[in-house]
Amino acid sequence: MLAVNCRVDGDAGAPSSARKDEWSECLGRIAQDQDRAAFTRLFRHFAPLMKAFALSGSKFSAIHADELVQEVMLKVWQKAGAFDPEKAAANTWIYTIARNCRTDMYRRLQKFDTAISAEDFDLEEESEEAFVVLHQHRNRHRVRELMQDLPPDQAQVVAKVYMEGKSHSEVASELDLPLGTVKSRVRLAIQKLQIQFER
Amino acid sequence: MSQMPRLHPDLDIMMEYSAGTLPLAQSACVFAHIENCAQCRQLVAELSDVGGALLAGLDPVPVGDSQLDAVLARLDEEPPLQYSAPARAPDSLPAVLQRLMRGDFSDLSWKSIGKSLRISYLSTGDTQHEFALYHIKAGGRVPEHDHCGSEMTLVLEGGFSDAEGSYHKGDFIFRRPGDVHSPTALQSEDCICVAVLDAPLKFMGWKFRWMNPFFKLRAS
Repeated sequence: MLAVNCRVDGDAGAPSSARKDEWSECLGRIAQDQDRAAFTRLFRHFAPLMKAFALSGSKFSAIHADELVQEVMLKVWQKAGAFDPEKAAANTWIYTIARNCRTDMYRRLQKFDTAISAEDFDLEEESEEAFVVLHQHRNRHRVRELMQDLPPDQAQVVAKVYMEGKSHSEVASELDLPLGTVKSRVRLAIQKLQIQFER
Repeated sequence: MSQMPRLHPDLDIMMEYSAGTLPLAQSACVFAHIENCAQCRQLVAELSDVGGALLAGLDPVPVGDSQLDAVLARLDEEPPLQYSAPARAPDSLPAVLQRLMRGDFSDLSWKSIGKSLRISYLSTGDTQHEFALYHIKAGGRVPEHDHCGSEMTLVLEGGFSDAEGSYHKGDFIFRRPGDVHSPTALQSEDCICVAVLDAPLKFMGWKFRWMNPFFKLRAS
């Protein structure tokens, strides 16, 4: 049987030279021309993913999830000028905005009294040596491809951390596993995703 | 060029940091480390790609056109003012600390513990974790203490040593409950570090044990 699993998607694993990255282009147009049509396309693709992201942690009600979707998409519009396709994939860039908004919203709901927002912990994009950028470029498409081959138990743990926003110990108690098992699955997953990690 | 830190946060801390699940005070401490650590910045970038890839692979949940219209109607809003870190000389204090301190080390209120240790508590908004600066005089020793909880330490100035080794500017150390140690500042200069605790310290020696009841977690 021939499985045709070909999502026409911004960051599909095509070689980067031949790749037409629709979402990076949209972000570019928003930054340059305040292009509302490009924004609408981006919204129709990412807002449903954002809503899935907001609901996956079961920390938010449907109302808060809608609020988060709006907040993230508005931020994408406002910050598009800071997006650099050479340094980050559109998916990753939008993910970090979503993550920050979720963290801040969670803290607001918990009535945290703080002057710091999650965004303050974002790294200023810096001009590092070309090889670092090249390395990231190659790697970020690889991560996406390699993700498909992760064993389910490793993929599950990583998804709970990133999508559901759970700490390792929350994941451990939810899955009824020793913390050490969660940590070693994470470590194995990161190795399989070929993320350089020297400690 | 300043020297690269030698000790870094572990993978699980870095992953929770990049997934946004690390508590606020701990995030601030990790961020203060990676601001001056190119290797960790690279790791955070790659770990964020994991989040990006997972986001792209989620099953979409339908969003109505009313939501789109609501956002389109707000596109002309003035973006909120963002705090932007002032340009920083290399080797200066991490920006996140400058912000939390609102001044210089000398502007803070310090509490003395014995002759060689002073502590200043900073408020991050995290009510579960104490975020404090420790100032140990050159050659001075912190009384032997136990960690009832976890402790993150980041060396800002100078360095210190304990039974397990020596630590220098930029180094990040994570201690788990039950580790007993008695850090001593290097002879050559005073040591200043950040310490983030989730439970109060417990001093072991008879000279300092009387103080334990006074050591409440000062998280705010």
